[in-house]
Amino acid sequence: MNEEKKIIRYDALVVGGGIAGGEAALNLANSGYRVLLVEKQRSLGGKMILLSKVFPTLDCSACITTPKVSEIARHRNITIFTESEVTGIVKRSENNFVAQITKKPRYVHVEDCTACQLCEQACPVSVRDEYQYGLIGRKAAFIPFSIANPKAAAIDIENCTLCGACEKVCPTQCIDFTMEPEQYELHARTVVIATGFKLFDPLEIPRYGYGQYKNVITSMQMEREIAPTRPFNTILRPGDGKVPDKIAYILCAGSRDASVGNPICSQICCMYSIKQAQLLMGALPMADVTIYYINIRSFGKGFEEFYQQAKGMGVTFVKGKVGTIKEKENGNLILRYEDIGEGVVKEAEHDMVVLSVGVKSNPDAGKIFPQGTLKLDPHRFVTQTDLMGSPARTSIDGVFVAGTAAAPMDIPDSILSAGSASSEAISYIIQHQEA
Amino acid sequence: MKKSARILVFSTEKISDPAIDMAGLLKLHYPPTVYTITVPCSSGIKPGWILHAYERGFDGVFIAADGSDCVYGESCTEKTGNLVADTHERMKARSLDPARLRMAAICSVCSEAFVKQIRSFNEYLIKTTNA
Amino acid sequence: MKERIGVYICHCGGNISDYVDVEKVRQAVEHEKGVALAKTTLFACSDANQNDMVEDIRTHNLDGVIVASCSPKLHLTTFRNVTERGELNKYTYVHTNIREQASWAHSNDKEGATDKAIRLVKAAIAKSRFAEPLYPNLFEAEKTIAVIGAGIAGMKAAAALADKQTEVLLIEKEHRVGGHTATWGTLAMTEESGSTLTERIYHDLLRRENVTIMTGTEVISSKGSIGNFTLKVRKRPTKDGDPVETAEFTVGSVVVATGFDSYQPKEGELGFAQSDNVITLPEFRHLIDRAEGKELVYNGRKIRHIAYIYCVGSRQTNGENTYCSRFCCTSAIHASILVKKKFAKINNYHLNRGIRTYGKQELLYAESLAMGDLYLQWGEETPPAVVMEGKGATITLRDILSSNRELELEADLVVLVTGMVPRADNSVGTLFKLPRGRDRFFNEVHMKLRPVETVIDGVTIAGSCQGPKNITESVNSALSAATKSFSLISKGTLETEPIVAEVNSDICSWCGKCAEACPFDAILQKEVGGKTVAMVNNSVCKGCGMCAPVCPPDAINLINYSSEEIMSMIDALA
Repeated sequence: MNEEKKIIRYDALVVGGGIAGGEAALNLANSGYRVLLVEKQRSLGGKMILLSKVFPTLDCSACITTPKVSEIARHRNITIFTESEVTGIVKRSENNFVAQITKKPRYVHVEDCTACQLCEQACPVSVRDEYQYGLIGRKAAFIPFSIANPKAAAIDIENCTLCGACEKVCPTQCIDFTMEPEQYELHARTVVIATGFKLFDPLEIPRYGYGQYKNVITSMQMEREIAPTRPFNTILRPGDGKVPDKIAYILCAGSRDASVGNPICSQICCMYSIKQAQLLMGALPMADVTIYYINIRSFGKGFEEFYQQAKGMGVTFVKGKVGTIKEKENGNLILRYEDIGEGVVKEAEHDMVVLSVGVKSNPDAGKIFPQGTLKLDPHRFVTQTDLMGSPARTSIDGVFVAGTAAAPMDIPDSILSAGSASSEAISYIIQHQEA
Repeated sequence: MKKSARILVFSTEKISDPAIDMAGLLKLHYPPTVYTITVPCSSGIKPGWILHAYERGFDGVFIAADGSDCVYGESCTEKTGNLVADTHERMKARSLDPARLRMAAICSVCSEAFVKQIRSFNEYLIKTTNA
Repeated sequence: MKERIGVYICHCGGNISDYVDVEKVRQAVEHEKGVALAKTTLFACSDANQNDMVEDIRTHNLDGVIVASCSPKLHLTTFRNVTERGELNKYTYVHTNIREQASWAHSNDKEGATDKAIRLVKAAIAKSRFAEPLYPNLFEAEKTIAVIGAGIAGMKAAAALADKQTEVLLIEKEHRVGGHTATWGTLAMTEESGSTLTERIYHDLLRRENVTIMTGTEVISSKGSIGNFTLKVRKRPTKDGDPVETAEFTVGSVVVATGFDSYQPKEGELGFAQSDNVITLPEFRHLIDRAEGKELVYNGRKIRHIAYIYCVGSRQTNGENTYCSRFCCTSAIHASILVKKKFAKINNYHLNRGIRTYGKQELLYAESLAMGDLYLQWGEETPPAVVMEGKGATITLRDILSSNRELELEADLVVLVTGMVPRADNSVGTLFKLPRGRDRFFNEVHMKLRPVETVIDGVTIAGSCQGPKNITESVNSALSAATKSFSLISKGTLETEPIVAEVNSDICSWCGKCAEACPFDAILQKEVGGKTVAMVNNSVCKGCGMCAPVCPPDAINLINYSSEEIMSMIDALA
């Protein structure tokens, strides 16, 4: 076991390779600083690269993410560690941060892998595909998804049976089961936290039937069904593979809800639900889509027009909170809700229900600093200590926060927040240069 | 009788072409026999190109001009007007209906105006130039 | 003339291929003259495809590259860079838009869309055959950066730029810095007041030596382009009789941070200007910041019942402002909490169209509800009616939340929750020719890929001049714009746009018409081979092409837009 720690030095450490981390890394790199970008997952791109289209322009998300990811991967000032975790950051003094990084073994030499997929075909083990949010399975030897970066195979060692079938068929012999975790000690002058967010888990609301009723899915699962790199050729309901024609969206599933410990608004769900509704109306021309809402928060540039466009396309908007969902024998669902417009409690039948789940904080952000040093707010987002004057500042000077690690926000806001964080990081480095 | 006329559109890179893009973004449909060539400024369009288009079978030519938004200055409007007048003269000399050339200032978000212009131009051309 | 062109037709993840039969397009063009290979691809801009393209250039010895995909404003630069990586001159790259201008515009006619896409690609091939390698001139960019507007956004941008060790000129029209924020009292989501926050940011800015702040100064003209803008400014006299001073500066890039105006309701709009007790949100905030005592008194009347009417001047059904002003729900609710904390006997009635306290601001809404405020919701078809009765008002509305019941309430004070509108003074926008979006605020090139850039190279936009936003969002936007404006010129050496006009001196017989037409004085008279001809000064020529149509013998062409190229494109489209 190779316990030796490699000591590496960079100007900036960016934790998280989603859109915010990526943008921050690019800004720093373009300004001449050497950046280490550490990503926990097997690919860059965060959640954005898994989306279908983005509101309000309906650009395909991959079209916007992949060139950015490509620019990051090719940039001579950026070094990328995927499947790596930052386990501890200590501030020694200004411009002097030391981080412990563990690079988990992929068991594949990425430089030699051609993504030919022969290992995938040979592997006998099937498990739930986390990149498709459980809609389909994948093998234990697999390429995360078609537009992943790095686009290379990986071995899911926990589910692997070590049968060696993949090794036998690999044409470049890049599969290597002897790979070990690598330990690094990084010395950097500044840190940007861009660890993103977690989606609300609707299992916390049992009365919606998620996990119990097969045709109740989350918005992220629907996003995968619509995306170009989707698992099926069309939109199907998971229970029986039927193409749905009466789809319901339940907004604020787990947001604005003190009873599940999340009283704030997740900011993006109204808009992404309207977006998905528009895409569904396009993909399934015969389908009805109904959105059950409390308020439609279409507050950004072009958002109102987008909302009116959806209404014009025939999406039905019902003001009322859904109380419970019950399943029928044929897999259809009965929604019991309060129709505010009419002032009565009603029931409606739908064949598929999408829960518009919200943005929750990612607890990893706090864990990478010694307990209590990086302040988190009551919702466990990274506290923005100067929300008005310097939104990227955290409770530790020299550590900045970008994107949804700080608060719920959409893609344009994440990008601007990353611009803000990288600008502050550069100012910080320069300010303490003489020190 | 044709369903749609063949129209050649000259758009400008920074001003009218973004509006034409946005028309697509907003799914404001117009006939698919409308093709765009993008140039830096509408005042740089040569009358010879317009006449060549008619020779090649285009029913109409539409100049989506910069108008007062032109990034190259105020003289654009006058100059674009001049080249249109010049082209009209040459068209008359060849017995071509001058109404087959249209020009309108299209700002960078004037997608609806563009589509309206094209649709009305299309209708006029179908009526007057039979297949 | 090119002989080995590579054509890439993008699916755009379905955005194109859902309506255009990309395989059909590929087949239609693969045997065109000059085409060496034609391929379709799922995402032309993806890393994998970009690498494939570079590989193809090498293995197939391509001399030209075409991508048929989305609008050039997204990825023109991306694909030009790919061409360069394949060691071709990037100006030989030709782009054609078959998404916005074929697939999306004609999504109701797949056959028509496919046919158009085929013609557009053929026209691109025609253009590509002529696309010459171009070698831009290099020039040294000016290192100074100008920031126009010294509100919160402008000051933060200036400070960020100063940190990057560039000289900064901060130009402000008013005789003080701080914009709107400096006039505000207590702010939502923080303990600080607007004036304190602005003071703090101003003092922080002053620590930087390389910032020159010019208040009471207006930009009156701008010439030049990226790397080399010449700005003329005029100092506004503080009193009559003061001399008017002007000065000129050369800067490399500009950040526009000119802010917003508050919506002013029209006379009679919900009782405004017909009664003293109908005021706007900014007026209300000033009132409660200054108010003291046991009871709130306004215009000699004790105020017990306050009605807030939301979305005044925003989300208009009959009006220009169809957008949401984003910050006002939070600001109004915050003001109502403040007033109730100060004067316990107040009753607040929020007459809204759906409360938009997004993100963590939702907690203010919860706090307001917990304090006993009443929320009534009206629909856009039935706005509330305000009738003035003496000094108070009677408001009737249909309340969605009580099943469309018609309700009547009496208020001592009516607060019109007004939003943001673009600045009435558009002098800076006009000077730089900044296009405006549908909401009439300055337009960014692309919300996600290029959120702070404008189509004017070298000019970025920051803060609320780009659209309604709160302070945190303005600061984020300002720092991003600063980073962008800096990176645009930080390399020091910039390339001139190599698209310039060219004179064929064999045909030219110097009549002077082109020189007359040129707005930039870029054409000179020269002796070449014994005769007088016109000659273009490449470093001044802006590539507009205004000289081209006026030449009687047709001796002048704009590079890459020559008659040969354009007419051959017309042939392909016909």
